[in-house]
Amino acid sequence: MNWGFIVTNAITLACIYGTLAIGISVTWSSLGLVNMAYGFIFALSGYGAWLASVYIGPYPVVVMAAGILTGAFGGLIVCLLAFIPIHDKPNFPLRALIATLAISLVGNQILLWWFGPRAKSLPRLFGNWNADILGVVVTSDKLGASLSAILLLTLILMWMRSSRRGLEIRAMMMNPHAASIVGIGVRRTSIYVMALTGSLAGLAAVLLAQTYYVAPFSGITPMIKGLSIALVGGLGSIPGATIGAIMLGVNESLTSTFLGGQYVLITQFLLIIVVLLIRPRGISGILDKAREA
Amino acid sequence: MSDTTAPIWIDPTDSQHPETPAREVPTNPYLPHQVTWDETTRFRPKMYLVGRLRYYYKWPGHGGALWTRTRYWPTRRRVLNIHGEYNPKTMRREKTIVDKRPIWWMLALAAFFLMPLFVPVSSYNTVMSAASVFAIYAAINLCWMLVVGTAGIFSLATYAVVGAAAYGTTYMAITLGLPWWVLPFAGMLIGLAFGVLIALPAMRLDGFYYALLTLGVVELCRVYVVQSRQFGSATGGLYGAPSYLPAWLSQSNRLLLGYYVAVLLMILALALYRFVDGKRLGRLLRMAQEKKEGFAQACGVDFIRARIMVFLISSAALGFIGGFYATHFGGASPNLFSFDTLLLSLAMLVIGGIGRAEGAVAGTLIVVFIDRVLIDLGPLRFVLIGAIMLGVVLFLRGGIFGIKSQFRAWRDKKKSERRSTRAEKGGEMLPEEATEVEDKDQVYFRRFDKMQRDFLKRLVSDAVIAEHKSKPLGQHSEALERLLIYFRRQGQIDKYAIMVLEEFKAYRIVALSGHRGTAPRMVEDRNYETPDEAYHALFLRRVQDLLET
Repeated sequence: MNWGFIVTNAITLACIYGTLAIGISVTWSSLGLVNMAYGFIFALSGYGAWLASVYIGPYPVVVMAAGILTGAFGGLIVCLLAFIPIHDKPNFPLRALIATLAISLVGNQILLWWFGPRAKSLPRLFGNWNADILGVVVTSDKLGASLSAILLLTLILMWMRSSRRGLEIRAMMMNPHAASIVGIGVRRTSIYVMALTGSLAGLAAVLLAQTYYVAPFSGITPMIKGLSIALVGGLGSIPGATIGAIMLGVNESLTSTFLGGQYVLITQFLLIIVVLLIRPRGISGILDKAREA
Repeated sequence: MSDTTAPIWIDPTDSQHPETPAREVPTNPYLPHQVTWDETTRFRPKMYLVGRLRYYYKWPGHGGALWTRTRYWPTRRRVLNIHGEYNPKTMRREKTIVDKRPIWWMLALAAFFLMPLFVPVSSYNTVMSAASVFAIYAAINLCWMLVVGTAGIFSLATYAVVGAAAYGTTYMAITLGLPWWVLPFAGMLIGLAFGVLIALPAMRLDGFYYALLTLGVVELCRVYVVQSRQFGSATGGLYGAPSYLPAWLSQSNRLLLGYYVAVLLMILALALYRFVDGKRLGRLLRMAQEKKEGFAQACGVDFIRARIMVFLISSAALGFIGGFYATHFGGASPNLFSFDTLLLSLAMLVIGGIGRAEGAVAGTLIVVFIDRVLIDLGPLRFVLIGAIMLGVVLFLRGGIFGIKSQFRAWRDKKKSERRSTRAEKGGEMLPEEATEVEDKDQVYFRRFDKMQRDFLKRLVSDAVIAEHKSKPLGQHSEALERLLIYFRRQGQIDKYAIMVLEEFKAYRIVALSGHRGTAPRMVEDRNYETPDEAYHALFLRRVQDLLET
């Protein structure tokens, strides 16, 4: 049994899914919006990166920047369509959920119509080499994906800790009502938040496309995984999302090694259900009070 | 205020001294006080032609059959809610159908039954298969509506239940050789078991956590079915369930029979919806709405139990539909679990309006029509459906069947905004003030006084002031006399008066306190030499006060 393989796999998957989960989690806790169009943003930024690699050139920086920027653009679309018009209307959480689902339906079908059903593949961003770390052979894409995900996530979290905009977002996460009382504009902050989380989806899309392909419906499974991680970690908590990502990453690599790939989702959902039955608001979610949108 | 064609007023009291010419003074043209009344009481709001009244057709009531009602045997429930009353103006009995929904339902069902007669031959196959798909999806959506609308559990696992039942019954039919009529009932058992499984977390989780979890369950089912060999991963679905259609029927008759059986299933689902939503469980849950659960619990409503009951009932019904699906289509495909199916049927619910049976059926009709009949549009038809769904979510509160009530609410809001802009300032007492005032006469007096002041303001002119200056006391023209009578009639508090400092030498204007023992207050620091000057200055001061209010 190759433990090194399992561990590196787990870490890579945890990094990528954790990026998605943190995006979903931040959106929910600061805006009260469950972004079901995340899969669409994911696929859209995959195509953005692909277009950049075809028309500009397969430079890693260009491709990654294109993916992240397209993701931010997708986030803005969702914000302008599904958050700003209805965020102060009655029954907002349910309507926003349905609106983002509708955006996802429309967007995915437009991608299918425009680009066709054939999957595209991105150039290898991190070269084709192997590293030997403490006797464990790590392929370049795994190492590059984990490192860049960790690097960019750290940058974003530091930005959220230290900047004025990050302070606004964190205030919205703590108590949106009080934040709006002290003069933090809900609509303005929502634009930052959605652009930020969209760019996280774009990053995850570029990283995951190293292993898989870019296709119109490629975003749905990662979105559901990201949602489940955010759910297990407790919606709205970044440490929780990290713990959930590590847990599910370990689970995925263990299951696919020992039982086989088709059992991954089953064990994953059993794990999620067990965690949620013990702690209904996730690992580090606040127990007694959900976010009142 | 100066008027060149000012009429001349002749002092009538001078007729007692015919030897001297009568005093003649220019005055105002006659202004009837009716004009102020007419202006104040005129109906000013802008009225629109559309939607001023709720229009009900008044059916004539027959004297002989005055109290007969058609009722559902053996209950006392009426088929139509008819309100009867005596109209004192026409001196006739009138009947009003208060709730017309049963009529619309009967018309719609009749249309469903007669629809195959009017389908063009060229597209018979497409339309009839789409129609039976519509009826099955409508049945599924009605059961889902029970979960989402009545129970308020935002579960997305509906198609997981249907698909599990369809796959399970197909598998059982293949392995055990079950006849077709067992499949729906077997499906019901599978659905119930599946419902119990996914209802367990529903007791602990709420709202979105549950929605996301059920979304995961659907994805889990899809991945399992796609990868499992015994559920037909190679053939793209599991087929081989026995069909209820007799083998000797022709192709078009098979479609026709399938359609009618599917419509029957939809009617069964409608009946289930009515008996769950309209009876005890529905009433209990209507009390325990979102964010009012605490109140319901305090009243002794065990809403969690009711929710789980509704969830299990609809799961069993979904299982039944799943078994029927297996016999109807001869098997099950992983398409049932796909994210797109989920999105499309959510679009059906949302477009029609969540929480009403007619919404589920109409939404299904619209979406299935776009999806199955307008096939030529390609992927754009999903874009169309998504755009409709997005528009409905962004602009409508209760789907297309909520448009009427939403429009009424909007119109009432606009009405009340206009009403508040045209409220008279000054004369009207606000409702809260009016309840505080002991003497209700004051309410009417103020309104009258406002109108009177408005009238008197229009009487003030240079001619009137000049007339007063020429002769402050004695007989005056009509306009001046009205003004003076109004001024003299005012209460004692802060009424202007003239204080004599020294007779024929110094006069001064004061304001009375209105209370015995309290001295009058000085108004201005100026002495007048004659009484007439003082009278006129006092008149000017009163006129100024009148014009300022």
